[in-house]
Amino acid sequence: MDILFDVLRTAIAPSTAAFALAAIGLNFHFGLTGLLNMGQAGFMLLGMYGFAISIQQGWPIWVAILVGLAAAAIFAVLLGWPTLKLRGDYLAIVTIAAAEMVRFLGRSQSLAGLTGASSGIRGSDYKAPFEELSPFPDAIVNIGPFSMHGSRSSSWWLTTVTWAIVLLCAGLFWRLANSPWGRVLKGIREDEDAVRSLGKNVYSYKMQALIIGGVIGALGGITWALGNSVQPDSMGRPTTFWLWTLLLLGGAATVFGPVLGSILFWSSLTLVKSLASAFIPSDVLAPTELEPFSLVLVGVTLMLLVVFRPQGVLGNKKELAF
Amino acid sequence: MLRAALVFVVAAVGITAILSMGGTAQAATETEAVTTAATSGGTNLLIQNLFNGIVFGLLLALASVGLSLIYGTTGLSNFAHGEMVTFGAMITYFLATPQAVSFPLLPFEFTVNWPFWLAAPAGIAIATALGWVQDKIIWSQLRRRRVAMIQQMIVSIGLSLALVNFIQWWMGGRPVRLVTSIDPRKQYGPISVGNVTLISMVIAIVALLAVAFFLQRTRLGRATRAVSDNPALASASGIKVDSIIRIVWMMAAGLAALGGILLALYQQGIGFDDGTKLLMMMFAAVTLGGLGHPYGALVGSLIIGVVAEVSTVWLPPDLKFATALGILIIVLLVRPQGILGKAERVG
Repeated sequence: MDILFDVLRTAIAPSTAAFALAAIGLNFHFGLTGLLNMGQAGFMLLGMYGFAISIQQGWPIWVAILVGLAAAAIFAVLLGWPTLKLRGDYLAIVTIAAAEMVRFLGRSQSLAGLTGASSGIRGSDYKAPFEELSPFPDAIVNIGPFSMHGSRSSSWWLTTVTWAIVLLCAGLFWRLANSPWGRVLKGIREDEDAVRSLGKNVYSYKMQALIIGGVIGALGGITWALGNSVQPDSMGRPTTFWLWTLLLLGGAATVFGPVLGSILFWSSLTLVKSLASAFIPSDVLAPTELEPFSLVLVGVTLMLLVVFRPQGVLGNKKELAF
Repeated sequence: MLRAALVFVVAAVGITAILSMGGTAQAATETEAVTTAATSGGTNLLIQNLFNGIVFGLLLALASVGLSLIYGTTGLSNFAHGEMVTFGAMITYFLATPQAVSFPLLPFEFTVNWPFWLAAPAGIAIATALGWVQDKIIWSQLRRRRVAMIQQMIVSIGLSLALVNFIQWWMGGRPVRLVTSIDPRKQYGPISVGNVTLISMVIAIVALLAVAFFLQRTRLGRATRAVSDNPALASASGIKVDSIIRIVWMMAAGLAALGGILLALYQQGIGFDDGTKLLMMMFAAVTLGGLGHPYGALVGSLIIGVVAEVSTVWLPPDLKFATALGILIIVLLVRPQGILGKAERVG
């Protein structure tokens, strides 16, 4: 029973919503346009840094959010500019390299004054303005089996806000994917040259998709940071790979694929970990080995998914870039 | 070209601006570095870094030659290649360490404790066998099913995630040392270097020459280059493309393992994610040299190694990987086919 509640708690946690957001962004890139963005964690990290550093400078919260989103938009322009004209795997290599560069810059001692180097920025340094907006009481609130703080850190307030943003962004994806604009993007995914021959500026459409997806990724980063802390190493390459796994799990190019994928991914990760710690004796699988063990399963899941069911749970095989 | 130059300038200005915001301490060390660079001590520092860069570049080349050959013959950007580097070093540690070792999920422990000269070749042999197994059970199946290249790339990402965490699960999170003795550094003119590093360099050069000989002078090597050039045509002229690719996978895994072992000796220890970290450098090197070009990986690796190490004369050392990745992005802007690659339409 405890395990079930743990799983449910993970399913509604703000971090799950944050990953759903970042995956919606990735869905704009990969699902809709067929762009291989392997650096979504870099967009998230830029959003986090932009937000947290602006708050530390004493700017109001809406300016901070805009700074975070603008950082991601500029990053998208810089990345897309040279690579969107090249073959798809070049974008993959450049985005992964650029995301690593952002992380290395964030870790670097030379910027410690702004980013706090490898130890990052503590949550208490930037969470206050958001928590002050909370209409929830400043105490632990129990709703059914769930017990969370009303306003602090991973709170009911943050849960409400993040899931509301997830719904908004999913709605935005649905609206845009079914607009003439979205149909052009799908056309690019299917056959770039055909769309080009119809007189559309493919480069510009790809760029727009890259920017929108990146900005939503940054939003995911900001909401993630509000529940945790800004830590460059938590947004490394594995994070991007998890995002890909959960997007493909839920179903790329669908409205609710990323949301379902995120919920399924994190719940099953919790389920596997709690089952393993409950049933496998600790001399066979020590508690410290649980994390790598479950991540091995994530990797294997990704491999099997891509080969045997690339459309995931909700997707349609015809709607895939590969 | 103009676009590329503009991006380069913007990036340079941006990085400089960010770094100067980083604090006065940084500025102070930077001016200090500049002033010392003018004196003879600075030249020594430069030569030493240049030398370190060549060593690192040679080790990087060992790892990335395989990556480039795989890309050349199959078109796959293999994201799991970094784990092959770690695996080679780790299996050597597994065989050589006097401490008790065990397999994951098996509750018993035992010691192997082979001498290093035996453990290292055995490690390379096991890694080569793993390359064979990998191609047999994963990649040849995917090729047979005609799985799209992008899907295969994501499969390799999944494999990388699984392997790196498996290695962490198996060997633990802390770096391990292959040999316990400390290699004393000796002074040769302006360069200080240990004997083990010198021997590593010789081994790396011999291995790279052997690869070059294989590709240039043997029948199998010529077949490999033919497949790399045009698989369909090679197949039509009677070359068994699938067995060539199998050999390439074995060679790539073996060379990566050798690179991993030498790297572990060079940096005195190897962690479970060192190969994963190295992967971006390998991609940078391979792209810089020319994706799929057999000698491109060597040229690219040496440049990346030297740039990464020499940049530490002016830039903070924790940014050396970021610098090398920056080079990769600039190269893609100016010359996407790399230094040795032929110009072709890539998008």
